[in-house]
Amino acid sequence: MSTVVSVEGISKQYRYGVINNMSLARDMRSWWATKRGKEDPNVRVGEESNVGRRDRFWALRNVNFEVKKGERLAIMGVNGAGKSTLLKIMSRVTAPTEGRIRIRGRVASLLEVGTGFHPELTGRENIYLNGAILGMKKNEITAKFDEIVEFSGLPEFIDTPVKRFSSGMFVRLAFAVAANLDSDILIADEVIAVGDAKFQAKCLNKMRDISEKEGRTVLFVSHNAHAVSALCNRGIILDHGIEQYDAADIHEVVHRYNTLMENQ
Amino acid sequence: MSETNKQPDDTWDLIIEPPDKLLDFRFGELYRYRDLLGLLIRRDFVSAYKQTVVGPLWFFIQPVMTTMVWSFVFGNIAKLGTDRVPQMLFYFSGTMLWGFFSHCLTKCANTFNSNAQLFRKIYFPRLAVPISYVAMEGLKVLIQFSILVFFFFYYVVQGAVMHPNLWLLAIPVFLFQLGALGVGCGVIVSSLTTKYRDLKQLLSFGMQLWMYCSAVIIPLSEFVDRGYGWLIYANPVIPVVAMFRYAMTGEGPQPIGAWLVSLILSVVILLLGIIIFNRNERTFIDVI
Repeated sequence: MSTVVSVEGISKQYRYGVINNMSLARDMRSWWATKRGKEDPNVRVGEESNVGRRDRFWALRNVNFEVKKGERLAIMGVNGAGKSTLLKIMSRVTAPTEGRIRIRGRVASLLEVGTGFHPELTGRENIYLNGAILGMKKNEITAKFDEIVEFSGLPEFIDTPVKRFSSGMFVRLAFAVAANLDSDILIADEVIAVGDAKFQAKCLNKMRDISEKEGRTVLFVSHNAHAVSALCNRGIILDHGIEQYDAADIHEVVHRYNTLMENQ
Repeated sequence: MSETNKQPDDTWDLIIEPPDKLLDFRFGELYRYRDLLGLLIRRDFVSAYKQTVVGPLWFFIQPVMTTMVWSFVFGNIAKLGTDRVPQMLFYFSGTMLWGFFSHCLTKCANTFNSNAQLFRKIYFPRLAVPISYVAMEGLKVLIQFSILVFFFFYYVVQGAVMHPNLWLLAIPVFLFQLGALGVGCGVIVSSLTTKYRDLKQLLSFGMQLWMYCSAVIIPLSEFVDRGYGWLIYANPVIPVVAMFRYAMTGEGPQPIGAWLVSLILSVVILLLGIIIFNRNERTFIDVI
């Protein structure tokens, strides 16, 4: 099997607290003071002064792994482990500080269901808009349209503005668009946590289906041990931005994750 | 981020790396997302007039009302001249051109802030958003143009002597120029507002001040008479508006030199804006 995703030494650095002073005048005062070698007047109490400020942290530190075609990789970790940051870098929402990711094939990322849905537009209009945002062409969406509507189970509401949808209906339509995309790699972040149990099962089945039948790769972030064991055939555990564990035995991964949780 | 396969042994479709290049345009990518562009324009158009009674008629109502108010207040009460351009034509062309420019600027200036939710979750070429804004505004101007033509023939029937001239052919250039200037300034402001929210406050009344020094309402001759003639060079909007009115009616001043300066300035600001925007789009999400 060929490698479709290669993550090489990826690191991402963030700054603690307020990104800047949020006002041009204060930034200029800080800059002027620093320039003259004086202490920054806007340094907050308890913070160290200009020299040697320790206000940065690594959300991800030197993460390396490869994903083969058709793998369903679970990325697990407690809150703040860096899972979402990793997915954000992969789906190009933010840039890495160091390292490189190489990808073969088209990526569809589903970091949140219904991103880009416009409340005033109808279900039909939103399917097109959302599909285009996810990188599909108009004719590709038209070709998939019936499949999407059928999967969502909402044919009778398709010409209603989505602001009148219940949140469950909203999620169903949004997932239907993303799941029926012609992508080679599907990145999903805790997306199916919304929606009822029946729909969740349907989503998991759909994701396993597209992977087994069409050889597509799935990267799945979840805290849900059940969903992970049902879907994935490999797992990675992140802890404080560092890769802790990587194995094809998904039950072992889930077990380690649970142990990690208990030791927190 | 580069999508080229520069590494000799590589067959990768996408390589994600830290941002370091100053000039890293991906216009090919923008082209691949052209369907999205169309749908974004449609979204803005449709959603703006959903649940309104007269719908797109608002395109006409707003500038016509503005023209009437300006004619009444500035023309009839304040008795400001119009440099011999028929009153309705003078004010309507003013509000139309200024509206186009200022909407391009303010909408683009809010690109990052009003789309933060979307940008936080998904990648697509960010430049598609300001481009869709401009396309929408351009569409609006084209529609409003029909009213201008209506006013023009109204005055012709009334017996007004006007001398439309070859400068009419330059109207697409005038519009391009205002659009470029608006988008350029707008994306520069948008890149700065992600960090400094102050600029957002400044923008609304800054635009108002800018309008009053753009000879949109007050005729250019008044500026010149009172010793503010240098504004023609300082404010790139003035020569465009003046040349536009001259093209239609053959009346009023024709600052060709200043217009050329403005054209060059507009292109420079547009390019500068795109460079800054490009620099910013990959990391702004960590700041906003």
